[in-house]
Amino acid sequence: MDELKLIEQAQLGDKKALTELVKLYEQTVFNFSFKICRNKEKAEHTMQETFLSMVKNIKQFSGESKLSTWLYRVVSNHCLMLARSAGKYEFASFEDEDAVIDEKSIADWKVAPDKITENNELKDFLDKAIEKLPADYRIVFMLRDVEGLSTEETAKMVDLTIPAVKSRLHRARAFLRDELNERFKYE
Amino acid sequence: MSENKSICKDVMAHICDNLGEELNSLKCVSIKAHLENCENCKHYFNSVETTIEFYKKYNVTISKDAHNRLMECLGLKE
Repeated sequence: MDELKLIEQAQLGDKKALTELVKLYEQTVFNFSFKICRNKEKAEHTMQETFLSMVKNIKQFSGESKLSTWLYRVVSNHCLMLARSAGKYEFASFEDEDAVIDEKSIADWKVAPDKITENNELKDFLDKAIEKLPADYRIVFMLRDVEGLSTEETAKMVDLTIPAVKSRLHRARAFLRDELNERFKYE
Repeated sequence: MSENKSICKDVMAHICDNLGEELNSLKCVSIKAHLENCENCKHYFNSVETTIEFYKKYNVTISKDAHNRLMECLGLKE
């Protein structure tokens, strides 16, 4: 059964269809939640909250956007709320645009990104680097660069203007690149 | 030397702004030309791309236990 049919059935109260929808998206939602939260427990909690919201609101889902887009939006909002309540929302050095491009330390990285799949120490390093980014910058980077949404789709999802998305993306990319440079410039 | 340094800084900012976007404007064309001849900027461009690739390839898989807890929390059975 295709996704639209599943949604229609779920809206009529068919629990089997709802179960199929959850199974269809649980991996995507868990993975995306982890990419924002960088913590498996928080990611599981966010995934549960996201699907609870889906189950509760499935009747209101109009089908104007894709279900995956709607789920990304719920995850993003939930993660932002968690970050705000943890007091990690502000990050002063992001005020200064010049500070994020470190042209003094340009190096030719020899590392291959495929190494990540089997290297836990490298995973820790990447987690720590991205945890330094404020959650709203992290979400823009993940939606646009990692999940491959367009700038327009990202802007819509996080209620920002297109220039604001570009600005956050610019700073997030430059910041992460500088963090990783500290390690890979020697490889 | 200092003029080239300022071009590099512009190029690096542009790379961060526009990676993955359509690069057909006059400014983009001149930046592409600069990239072909400037090792520094080429390294910067590659390092930004590699950064993105790292986070793309870093994925986690939902465990069977987490799946079961989700179904239980939603009151759904398989």
